[in-house]
Amino acid sequence: MFRKILRQNEAYVFLLILALSIVIGMRNPSFFSFENITGFLKSYSMIGIMSVGTLFVLILGGTDVSFTAIAQVVEYAVVVLIMKFGGNIFVAFFEAAILGIVLGLINGLVIHKFRVPIIIVTIATFNIYFGMLYVITKGKLINNIPQMFKDFGNILLFPQKSAIGGTYGLSLMPLIWLAALILGWIILRKTMIGRGIFAVGGNEIAAERIGIDTFAIKLFVFGFVGFLAGIAGVVHVAIVQSVVPNIIVGKELEVIAAVVIGGASIFGGRGTIFGTFLGVLLFAMLNNGLTLLRISSYWYSVTIGAIILIAITVSAYQRLQRAKTNVKVQIQE
Amino acid sequence: MKPLRFFQSNRSLYIILIAIIILMAILNPTRFFTVGNFISMSYQIPIIAFLSFGSMIAFLTGGINLAIISTTNFTGIITILTLRAISGQATYEASVSSSIIALSVGFIAALSIGALCGFLIGYLEIPAFLVTLGIGTLLNGVNIVITKGYTISGFPPFILDIGNGLLWGIPIPFLIFIVASVLLSFLLTKTVFGISLYLVGSNAVAARFSNINIRSVYIRQYMLSSLFAALTSFVMMGQLNSVKANYAESYLLVSVLACFLGGVDPFGGFGKTGGMVLSIIILQLVSTGVNLLRLDPYLTQAMWGLIILLLLGTNYIRSSIREKKRLSAVLQEAKSNPSATNSASLL
Repeated sequence: MFRKILRQNEAYVFLLILALSIVIGMRNPSFFSFENITGFLKSYSMIGIMSVGTLFVLILGGTDVSFTAIAQVVEYAVVVLIMKFGGNIFVAFFEAAILGIVLGLINGLVIHKFRVPIIIVTIATFNIYFGMLYVITKGKLINNIPQMFKDFGNILLFPQKSAIGGTYGLSLMPLIWLAALILGWIILRKTMIGRGIFAVGGNEIAAERIGIDTFAIKLFVFGFVGFLAGIAGVVHVAIVQSVVPNIIVGKELEVIAAVVIGGASIFGGRGTIFGTFLGVLLFAMLNNGLTLLRISSYWYSVTIGAIILIAITVSAYQRLQRAKTNVKVQIQE
Repeated sequence: MKPLRFFQSNRSLYIILIAIIILMAILNPTRFFTVGNFISMSYQIPIIAFLSFGSMIAFLTGGINLAIISTTNFTGIITILTLRAISGQATYEASVSSSIIALSVGFIAALSIGALCGFLIGYLEIPAFLVTLGIGTLLNGVNIVITKGYTISGFPPFILDIGNGLLWGIPIPFLIFIVASVLLSFLLTKTVFGISLYLVGSNAVAARFSNINIRSVYIRQYMLSSLFAALTSFVMMGQLNSVKANYAESYLLVSVLACFLGGVDPFGGFGKTGGMVLSIIILQLVSTGVNLLRLDPYLTQAMWGLIILLLLGTNYIRSSIREKKRLSAVLQEAKSNPSATNSASLL
């Protein structure tokens, strides 16, 4: 039992998170405070929401890089729509979901119909979505976003007064992240669609032969990625309370790295929601820990890169060891 | 015979190229067909070309080099740090010999990064995507830590000339580009190493059984890929007269896009230097065209994406027409001679 747990990637990430939190907590006890934990969870909510979509595409056997562009376009479009036509936060989420799904479905359609690698199509659509956003908006920032986004971002559960006079508490954003994780888990583990995604990622031809509609599966996955990216866009604007048209774009490799650290295979067919959550949590804690330990945030990329390298080297070493023990051939004469 | 085959294998690229030139001729003939315009294009082509060559080399075995941008910036940063160590703070006055020493140190740094990537891919059998993602992130962090996020500027005339100088009236970076393309083409098609790259890309197991040391191929492959990162860095230092941790970050995806446009198979085994050169010229023509028409520079990005989708679309339509023709031919044969054909020929 114990051995089986240790063989999973999640176990290592979990141990790493545990060790890291002990080290950071010993150096700076405020790490474990309610204020700090809710703070870093909130700031990583957007990445957390997008990571669920990235996991789905990785299980399908490819890499999507266009989701940040979708989130960026949706963020801008929804804020403009609300400024023009008004509406509450539910309207905003609804618009974001629809727009995100449409942009995602375009990806899925092209990928399936033209039979080309996911990464190529999504690089092309990334350039189109992001380029057109800049062409249409001329790259203008929006600082006076509608008040209701700010109100939504400022809602706090369990509000408390902090020592210096401000209030803190659990923002709604990590809860949306949690909802995305639960939704992803249900789809992957409890529905036929989820089985189909794993099947297509494992072996697309075999999946087609046993009667899985691979086109529908792909459309669903990319629609879902777009949906999550749209939601993430609204979450982002509620957190930063302004729209900068190039701030989400460029985070795609960080999100992919978090999901890969969480144990998803880049060859498809393998990956878990729990691992993805741990991967993003690790990144969030690292970023926060550097600040608490008064280490310059310049070191963030270095530590992340080092963790990726150590993780892939260890698992490669284990695989090679296992392969070595497996090929012992006994010859009897 | 040979030029004709080259034309045929890159037919769709030539069609796109001619279409763009005709479009430019109609929209803006007075400014497009000027010597000044072509000179300015020849300054811009090398950077994107070297990065794309670097990506293409990784793609030949089905890999990818996500570390190429951070290797480029790392080379530049190491170069200026060496320059400082040799000739003090006044790096812009450094002598030719110290410039050459600094460039070689940067060059060696880039090659060692490539060797490390190749080692992890070849000996530990880790997918290239993960290795270069890790190395790239780490190196980007190292770049930020070294420079503290600032721009470091002040290069001596010798290095500035690599990016801006003229030789026999031709921009030096463009000359480097021509020489590098010819050498790369020679290396890939005429040497054992080049052929083994394609073999490993088509079928790594078969390549191993035909006595190719695929591990050493991987190491040399990623060193070659990093070599082009170093070349990019040299030209960029000359043109921008500075280094920074996040220069050219958006070019990572563009270099992958250029490879695909140039007919490189992302799963490995296929891809030629000639196709890459054409694809890079197309991308540059679009960018220049957008600039000359005084349109939003971001339109370039959108147009690049659209060209890829168009290419995918035409490839798809062409292959489905071919498939239909083949099927109907088989069916015809089956009708006229039912006993001789079996169902296997349908598949």
